[in-house]
Amino acid sequence: MPLRSIRLLLLAALLPLAAMSARAQDVLIPMDIRQSNHLKAYGVAFWLLEQGEPVDWLLNYRGGSFLSAGFDRLEEELQVRGVYFERIGPDASARIVAEVESEEYNTATVRLETAPNIAVYAPEQTLPWDDAVLLALEYAEVPYDMLYDDAILDGALREYDWLHLHHEDFTGQYGKFLQYRNIPWYIEQQRKAEAMAARYGFRKTSRLKLEVAQTIKDYVAQGGFLFAMCSGTDTYDIALAARQTDIVPSEYDGDPVDPDALSRLDYDATLAFEHFTPVFHPGEYEHANIDVGPPPPALRNQAVDYFTLFDFSAKWDPVPTMLTQNHVATVKGFVGQTTSFRKRLVKPSAVVLAEAPNRDEVKYLHGNFGEGTFTFYAGHDPEDYQHFVGDPPTDLDLHKNSPGYRLILNNILFPAAKKKKQKT
Amino acid sequence: MYTLIRTFSLPARSWAGALLLAALLSAPFADAAGQSREDPQMARFRLADAFMRAGQFEQAIGLLEDLYAGAPRNETFYQKLKEAYENVKRYDEAIALIQSRLADTRSAALLSDLARIRYLQGDEEAARATWEEAVATAPADPMAWRVAYQSLVAVRQFDQAVSLLEEAREATGMPALFRVDLAWLCSISGRYGQAAEEYLALLKENEGHLDFVRARMTPFMEDQEALAPSIAAARNAVQTDPLYRAWRELLGWLYAEAADFPRALEEYRAIDGLENGQGSRLFEFALAAADAGAWEEAAKAWQEVLTRYPDAPAAPRTLAALGAMHTQQAEEIGERAFDETGQRIPAPHYERALVAYQTFLQEHPNHAMYPDVLHRVGRLQQDVFLDVGGAESVFLQALAAFPNTRAADRAAFDLAHIAIARGQLDEARLRFNRLVERLRTGELAEQARFDLARIHLFAKEFDAALALVDILDAHTSTNISNDAIALKILLLENRGPDSLDTPLRRYAGALLAQKQRQPLAALDSLDALLAAYPGHALADEARFLRGEILLAAGRREEAYATFAEIPLIHPASFLTDRALFEAAGILSRDPDTREEAAAAYRRLLSEYPGSLLADKARDRLRRLRDDEGV
Repeated sequence: MPLRSIRLLLLAALLPLAAMSARAQDVLIPMDIRQSNHLKAYGVAFWLLEQGEPVDWLLNYRGGSFLSAGFDRLEEELQVRGVYFERIGPDASARIVAEVESEEYNTATVRLETAPNIAVYAPEQTLPWDDAVLLALEYAEVPYDMLYDDAILDGALREYDWLHLHHEDFTGQYGKFLQYRNIPWYIEQQRKAEAMAARYGFRKTSRLKLEVAQTIKDYVAQGGFLFAMCSGTDTYDIALAARQTDIVPSEYDGDPVDPDALSRLDYDATLAFEHFTPVFHPGEYEHANIDVGPPPPALRNQAVDYFTLFDFSAKWDPVPTMLTQNHVATVKGFVGQTTSFRKRLVKPSAVVLAEAPNRDEVKYLHGNFGEGTFTFYAGHDPEDYQHFVGDPPTDLDLHKNSPGYRLILNNILFPAAKKKKQKT
Repeated sequence: MYTLIRTFSLPARSWAGALLLAALLSAPFADAAGQSREDPQMARFRLADAFMRAGQFEQAIGLLEDLYAGAPRNETFYQKLKEAYENVKRYDEAIALIQSRLADTRSAALLSDLARIRYLQGDEEAARATWEEAVATAPADPMAWRVAYQSLVAVRQFDQAVSLLEEAREATGMPALFRVDLAWLCSISGRYGQAAEEYLALLKENEGHLDFVRARMTPFMEDQEALAPSIAAARNAVQTDPLYRAWRELLGWLYAEAADFPRALEEYRAIDGLENGQGSRLFEFALAAADAGAWEEAAKAWQEVLTRYPDAPAAPRTLAALGAMHTQQAEEIGERAFDETGQRIPAPHYERALVAYQTFLQEHPNHAMYPDVLHRVGRLQQDVFLDVGGAESVFLQALAAFPNTRAADRAAFDLAHIAIARGQLDEARLRFNRLVERLRTGELAEQARFDLARIHLFAKEFDAALALVDILDAHTSTNISNDAIALKILLLENRGPDSLDTPLRRYAGALLAQKQRQPLAALDSLDALLAAYPGHALADEARFLRGEILLAAGRREEAYATFAEIPLIHPASFLTDRALFEAAGILSRDPDTREEAAAAYRRLLSEYPGSLLADKARDRLRRLRDDEGV
């Protein structure tokens, strides 16, 4: 029996399936516990935007689901990426939208229309730690470009809607990894940073980084979306605050800290934090008292360490609602060089999105600056409780439903949202 | 008491002063009555030191200024005061302090310190001039250059430090001066070629430094930016003196680091010749190349060992390694000695492996590796060339000639499998039992226990098989525990419907026939089972096994039909997703049916999203989509 003739057997078996995938149907991508791969679902939403197909983000509806018009390629894409979806008829689709828009529920619809251009601030040099956002973008198959100091200073940011900072040290102290100072990656990192600083006319890396931080701040002021994690959060603000002084010990830049550094800190220049005190000890793996640090050893256990997401009004506060979409209300904690922010040092203008209960610690915050916004998420890798230098990167195939990673990916869709008039 | 503290005018000797001071500070002074009494100056110095440790530099400076004013020749007070000024960036005062000392002695150390402070102050031009002045104080003295270079390094002026050391060689007339320092400076400032040149020169002075040089270079060689210029430097050096072994070895190592194995081979070939290594260096190189997947260069190197040094100690190890490499290569590319219809086809890698092993056996009958190589020959004959008789005689030889060796144990294990293939189940049972009794524990013993359970299955002794797998199932840490669980489920769920367990007996018969490479007998048994018991719980497994046997026999269309009908006939079977996957796999091999293959994978993903094969199906679907635009 030739293969071509007997393949009818299989085609016969496929007929019921084909009949179901009618073009007229809509596709609902639920983001509750039924979802098989939350992270790839964000990638599909992004893919739809790239195809020019609008997506409705149903805030607080089944974990922040996505609704789109159905078509064959979409279904194939969902299948290939392993994303659970439901075909629904136009009536059901309209009912869902009506329900989400009704005043009875804390839900809202946000239309996503244009795929944002994404930039990740990272050096070309491979450093012995991973970047959770790069991992998330790669896994979700969301395209991005990598930029570093030179591109930012040369004005490349104007091409992008969204910029991510991760394990970066904007104070120019090379992450305060003094113990690695004789290891080639550290030597290389320092050499390249110094060469870059010299290229742009700065004697010190700290000055170069400050210039980069200020350029990024201008980008935000003009409408850019900034998302930062781990030490990319507090060191960014510390660098801005220290613009008129020197907070870098001689071990990193050859000369000591300005004796009047504390009195010269300018907290008006920062985005999220104020009244903090930098750590001047070169060997202490901490930049300032903004970071609360890891929990005490007895509590340093992912089974008991968690943070809770705040509930916002989807109709009144759509932005914080978008950023906190999740299928769970509590998320596993995770440690980083910056693990969580000391609450009393957070500026009142920032909105706290998540915090560690009863610990006076903020894990996730958001704020506006000028025409743009910033979101800071503390910790290094949501699925690697304590990521050490040299550890292998996290395999996200093992964490397809990671609530911690979902918070990162909420941020990349947020700039795609069509601005609606705020309800008053 | 102050006079007890020696003052040193030469900063180079300041370490001695510091040591003495430390000793004095740590020992309380005793009066005649034996009571502790501390010198007031020491107490103030200690307080100033404590202030500095606490970061209270202004308080420390007040105390130190007083102390220094009272003892301006005291080196310790001077150093501490300077350090305090630097810590609060009072560079003008630090400079004035140094200059007050310079009035007495214009030493290279003081001037270098002055240059450094001027640099920190931001006056780079004055700093440079001061460094020049520092080395000019004693241009023939290497120490003057050293202190200047160290102060440049302290402010991370590596490029200038490199230039200074180069100048030092000229000024002192010592071309080898600061060799290691310069190499290190060049490495950390990204001048990899120059660093390599320094290391090569160091090697030329003493080839015993090779390990040291490699250790210093290794951390930087992860980067292609470092490898290329280092190789270029080493290549140039070798051209100037091709007979210098250490250079060639460094070059060979650099080529290997860059995964340029053809060039590395040339170097190791030369090294082997230079040191009359009798192939040992080539052998080691080939091992490293084979580990890195550079099969061709590894094979070339080993062939050379065999051709040029047939009687050298490396020759037998080379034959064994060559055979192992060809076997591994054949496994990686899925080489087979017979096609799907059973026709013998060329299997060059397996054939070369067999030749290498047989040559070993002929030429090195007394070598320690002989039993192991003998066993390897038997496995090739059994598994690849399907020469069961030949394999059996080899295993028997290993068992008889080398009892109580690992090779003999494995030969006994393989002989038991040959007995199963021949239907001699009692003999197989005997051999496995002996092996279990002898070894008791370990992977081979566990595997033998599992095979004993399978023999019970083949012999239709289902209760006995179940009793054995129960024991194995309990050892969840062993590699075969998953197989044991699968066998246990088969035995528990498929008994009946009659008291003879006829369907299970037929299924076991098919399994045995499959093991004995008798596909027709296996298919007959399965067809009989399916015809007589179409609704039995084993029907889906029987159909799946049928598909596997047909596929292995090259009957792809029939295999496809068998797999494809499983979802239709047994929609609730646990094998449905696997059947769809296999069917899709067969379709995807034919360019005309790739669309249908994609449809089958999609169906698997739609209907069995939780399948263990879902990820593989997605990968294959992506591949079909990317390759074929399906």
